[in-house]
Amino acid sequence: MAAVTVDSLLQNPTLLFRPKSKVLLKPSRSLDCSRNRKLLLSRSSCFCGFKIKPRQTSLVVRASSSETAVIDNFDTSSTDDVLYKETFPVNRIEKVEGKIFIRLDQSKNQQDWQLTVGCSLPGKWILHWGVSYIGDSGSEWDQPPKNMRPPGSIPIRDYAIDTPLNKPSKGEMFHEVKIDFNPSNEIAAIHFVLKDEETGAWYQHRGRDFKVPLVDYLEDDGNTVGAKRGFGVWSGALHQFSNVLLKAEASPADSPNNNNNESKDSKNKNRHLEGFYEELSIVKEVSVGNLVSVAVRKSLETSKLVLHLETDVPGNVVVHWGICRDDAKRWEIPAAPYPPETTLFKNKALRTLLQPKATGNRSGALFTLDEEVFGFLFVLKLDDNTWLKFEENDFYVPLSGASSVLGQHGQSESTSEEISSNSYTDGIINEIRNLVSGLSSEKSQKTQTKEAQESILQEIEQLAAEAYSIFRSSIATFPEEDVAETDTDSTKPTVKISSGTGSGFEILCQGFNWESHKSGRWYMELQEKASEISSLGFTVIWLPPPTESVSPEGYMPKDLYNLNSRYGTIDELKELVKSLHKVGLKVLGDVVLNHRCAHSKNQNGIWNIFGGRLNWDDRAVVADDPHFQGRGNKSSGDNFHAAPNIDHSQEFVRKDLKEWLGWLREEIGYDGWRLDFVRGFWGGYVKDYLDASEPYFAVGEYWDSLSYTYGEMDHNQDAHRQRIIDWINATNGTAGAFDVTTKGILHSALERCEYWRLSDQKGKPPGVVGWWPSRAVTFIENHDTGSTQGHWRFPGGKEMQGYAYILTHPGTPAVFYDHIFSNYRSEIAALISIRNRNQIHCRSMVKIVKAERDVYAAIVDEKVAMKIGPGYYEPPSGGPQRWSVALEGKDYKVWETS
Amino acid sequence: MEVLVMCSSQAKICKTELGCRDLRSCFGKTNYKNETFSRKPNSVSFDKQISRLRKAGLRFTVKAVHFEPILEAKSSTGSKSLDRLRLFVGLPLDAVSDGNTVNQARAIAAGLKALKLLGVEGVELPVWWGVVENEEMGKYEWSGYLAVAEMVQKAGLKLHISLCFHASGQPKIALPKWVMKIGESQLSIFFTDRLGQPYRECLSLAVDDLAVLDGKTPIQVYRDFCESFKSSFSAFIGSTITGISMGLGPNGELRYPSHHKPAKSGTITGVGEFQCYDTNMLNLLKHNAEANGNPLWGLGGPHDVPTYYQSPNLSTFFNDHSGSWESPYGDFFLSWYSSELVSHGNRLLSLTSSFFGDFEVNVYGKVPLMHSWYKTRAHPSELTAGFYNTASRNGYEAVAEMFARNSCKIILPGMDLSDKHQPHDSLSSPESLLAQIRTTCNKHGVEIAGQNLASGGLEQIKKNMLGENPIELFTYQRMGARFFSPEHFPSFTEFVRSLNQPELQRDDLPPEEVEATESVQMSSDPNIHLQTA
Repeated sequence: MAAVTVDSLLQNPTLLFRPKSKVLLKPSRSLDCSRNRKLLLSRSSCFCGFKIKPRQTSLVVRASSSETAVIDNFDTSSTDDVLYKETFPVNRIEKVEGKIFIRLDQSKNQQDWQLTVGCSLPGKWILHWGVSYIGDSGSEWDQPPKNMRPPGSIPIRDYAIDTPLNKPSKGEMFHEVKIDFNPSNEIAAIHFVLKDEETGAWYQHRGRDFKVPLVDYLEDDGNTVGAKRGFGVWSGALHQFSNVLLKAEASPADSPNNNNNESKDSKNKNRHLEGFYEELSIVKEVSVGNLVSVAVRKSLETSKLVLHLETDVPGNVVVHWGICRDDAKRWEIPAAPYPPETTLFKNKALRTLLQPKATGNRSGALFTLDEEVFGFLFVLKLDDNTWLKFEENDFYVPLSGASSVLGQHGQSESTSEEISSNSYTDGIINEIRNLVSGLSSEKSQKTQTKEAQESILQEIEQLAAEAYSIFRSSIATFPEEDVAETDTDSTKPTVKISSGTGSGFEILCQGFNWESHKSGRWYMELQEKASEISSLGFTVIWLPPPTESVSPEGYMPKDLYNLNSRYGTIDELKELVKSLHKVGLKVLGDVVLNHRCAHSKNQNGIWNIFGGRLNWDDRAVVADDPHFQGRGNKSSGDNFHAAPNIDHSQEFVRKDLKEWLGWLREEIGYDGWRLDFVRGFWGGYVKDYLDASEPYFAVGEYWDSLSYTYGEMDHNQDAHRQRIIDWINATNGTAGAFDVTTKGILHSALERCEYWRLSDQKGKPPGVVGWWPSRAVTFIENHDTGSTQGHWRFPGGKEMQGYAYILTHPGTPAVFYDHIFSNYRSEIAALISIRNRNQIHCRSMVKIVKAERDVYAAIVDEKVAMKIGPGYYEPPSGGPQRWSVALEGKDYKVWETS
Repeated sequence: MEVLVMCSSQAKICKTELGCRDLRSCFGKTNYKNETFSRKPNSVSFDKQISRLRKAGLRFTVKAVHFEPILEAKSSTGSKSLDRLRLFVGLPLDAVSDGNTVNQARAIAAGLKALKLLGVEGVELPVWWGVVENEEMGKYEWSGYLAVAEMVQKAGLKLHISLCFHASGQPKIALPKWVMKIGESQLSIFFTDRLGQPYRECLSLAVDDLAVLDGKTPIQVYRDFCESFKSSFSAFIGSTITGISMGLGPNGELRYPSHHKPAKSGTITGVGEFQCYDTNMLNLLKHNAEANGNPLWGLGGPHDVPTYYQSPNLSTFFNDHSGSWESPYGDFFLSWYSSELVSHGNRLLSLTSSFFGDFEVNVYGKVPLMHSWYKTRAHPSELTAGFYNTASRNGYEAVAEMFARNSCKIILPGMDLSDKHQPHDSLSSPESLLAQIRTTCNKHGVEIAGQNLASGGLEQIKKNMLGENPIELFTYQRMGARFFSPEHFPSFTEFVRSLNQPELQRDDLPPEEVEATESVQMSSDPNIHLQTA
């Protein structure tokens, strides 16, 4: 809101001139943009602006937009005296207050309920939410049932949903989202936090998730909304049932259980719910544009310069100012007189409190300066301790004689614009730092200070990590062995073991699925299959995560040294590993290093204190996950929100984890690792762990989304594979990574009959395997994507085409347990045997010979030819090689040289 | 709220806090109402409070004026030195290695940003003769270095330029190709030892004024180089560039290459050897001996000295008692040997300060800390390096006097070294030597800037920086993979913060954090040597 009146100037007794009339000057667009050389040179055209509108009298002008509206009063008869006039746009951060409302009410059909969350502030709001089920312990979220998810929801792994808030209609003040649910679901509470995608800020309730309890007897941890109003209707007689979770009886008056169609059972499941509406205030920091206008004129009477500074920045504005005598823009203190409310600041600058104008939300001041002053420098300080500068520099108003100004200024622009000394403002920043530390004895300031320091330190740390990874990679450049390896004698396989590749001839078996924990004796069951798996031609088997875990599948580890899990005991595990070794299989342990579930709560009731042998406290938890109040550093990767993310930048954490990995190698006999959710932390740490534990083979799960345009997958997935490559690179090539890119492209190619996708622009395989084959672990399905979870299932019925591709191509192929023990078994076995017999390895050369709509064909190491897709392909006959069919199946065919 | 506390030095804070409290009482509690969603609870603005603030602000302004003079007097000592303490960090030695490209520019850019945020004042950039003037004499390629200077300027940091007229082993940066070619046929442009082995990493000081480089003297070549540097960087000198250090010899230091190879860490450094056996040095020696009336003394260096890696007592020259160093011959030789070094330094520094004297830059030269055997009477390591400093003679007088004459400052590396980390038998004492040089420099009004030799040793550096006699400027060596590694960078961050906020370190940190800091620093290995320019 920039509304300007000018008559206020008249009231100032120090005014040395008498304006006769007032001129309204609306700045042209060019005045609005930042002050650059062009603008300065065009200043003369601004004068024209004055002259075109002479002697116009307008008293008060109100502009409603903050973009326009600079009005200064000038005596038109003396416009020639106006030496300089400039409007600087400035941006400041303002706190805007708004409301969040949460409403729980019954929908029309009397059966379903609806939770509405709204927010009155502008922004791109996302509700990040999950539920907890009755009987859950701990603070983890679960994903809500599908029918509860509003349209547009995106699942975030397996514990939460992101749903955008929308405006129901244009005129609405609130963005809102409605979640419909049936209270008969066994949901104990809905948890959420609000996220503003514009700023990336999270909004929580009393420092925690918002929690809307749907059952009455939930423990109130202090973050509950909607209170426990239903509590009153508990019948005393029912207390005896209080351990029978679902038997809360509802009072008929306000409960939705009058549905006659419901069985008696479901009636029992109805819980008493009472609608509520609650509003909470919310404060968001938004960037607000304001203007600072400066006009310099010459006083005829005193031949001094009068500088008028005005701004629409609200509140108390203090100008820190000084003058300079040359281009170097060094701050100096001018001679008196000074405007009222001026004090000397550290002998470096003067500071003047701008005086509020009688009308409008503006304040300003007049400065009287000697004629020979070269320039006027200033910065503004606002109420909320922020400094306003001009594009990182001090504001600068050139004052030297009108005629010489332009020339001189042009020069100063070219030479000293960038050099312009930041010394004064830098000084201020330093002083703030010093102050900040000095003030820390004051309590409320202390926390604030710490936060500010923390955020700076975190930024520093990120930058350092970036610099580190580049410096380091350039010292020990990873050797891309592809070229070197192909030179070696191909009849005798070169076996060079490295943790990124194993021998290079590995074929991986994923030795479990999502249900494997159910029997409680998986290790024993698998042991019986050991020789079978080995005889199929596999060389490496990946076992499920072995640690004690909050979730039965093992991916929510708790005590890392407790290896009794739902898959079996530690002794059974040792037995299993022994028998796998006996049949010649290397064994990978599935290690979850990104996160770890806590044993107990901290003083705020947050689950972030660990137990067991590694009894870390909240310093081991990253600081940037709103759920877990970690005291560690900011995460070096993405956050996994269901459990505290481990801060790998802590030396003690790394030391402990290295020790643990070493223990697993020693004690259990694991040969290597499958690393869970490595997106969560920097690959350089992985290198550290692998260097310490020296695995035979290691592969990381770096799983993020491919790029799609309008729901259709882009042909070029280079960005996606680059991210995976970057991670491998950060580990210095000590680990391979699952080739998620190849899986995604196979999906589209097979599903939509778009086999052309299987060649990139350079005629190479389009996945990670095309760029860094020796580090790509190709797969088509795993326990997450397939099995009973089916998060991203391979196109049904086309699995063998997928295997025909990955088992003939370079990279290290991984076969999913479910597929091995299915009808595909003999075909998979045949493919593996073709691969082994032709010594295809992770660095084999692939030549794509066809990538068309309905067929893809390639020749690998000139020994194996393959095609997938319904289209026609036959390898060339009459050439040096004689091809014979080795295997044929539905829409695929493989040949080998005979 | 910060209006209230806009004062500068530490000493003022207690007073401003008073102001703060006054204000709060006039606000009442409302302003501190904890807003659930606000990170800065006291900065929420309410209309009513604005007017209150205004009143309060006025009140305070008056107070501030009142306080100012009192506080000024109080804060004159302690905090002032803090204000002036400047910390620089060296850029990678091979930031530019082929003239027109910046190596790892992205990493350097990120690093600069990080340093700026940390509050570091600037960075040091080694500029190599063998990079800029590599192909032929007078053909300079500055673009890579200009790009770095621009990056530094953009980051808002200051720049200290080290002109390197020497070669580097790791990373490999040799002298200019054309110089090396001349050297192939004319070995005498290099320092040579008793066995006739040349040292190819810098030119012998004996050729300073001999036209050995295609008709030009090395001094002329250095001058042309500086001239070209000056015109190419004129936009930066005095603003972004605040310091220039002149390369004076091996590793940029004012010394003879008395140790051809750097000593292995953990082993005792030998005494080194005199380097006076190239033809030109021998000529100088001969003339000098003849002028002295002892022509026989001019035939070569002392014959009774140990070799590079031996300890002093293996031969008689450096013996603590009645060693030849105390004989008239010894005195003659050492006086000559050391004065040649000082004159060499004088030639280069007078050239440099005349070049850059009219700019607002400081000119530096580096003086080595030859600390091994300091506890013997003869100080053999210093003697072979060219410093005639013994138990009975302060050899740094002449050096400091020369620096003072040229208004140059001294860079002293090795401020990270402490006596307790020296091998016990080495009789070395970096701390005593440092103290001696600093006292001597103080006497002559020569300012000292510090550097470290290895990463780590931060406690010792801090002691040197913040002690009774704090140094002006410290350059920490050096940016690179190790610098930013998780093993090192956190302790460096702590180090910088503790320099900025000594109060916080002492009083305000919870005890366990202090411990953590210390343990980090303890764990950094003092033996890992960083690259030095």
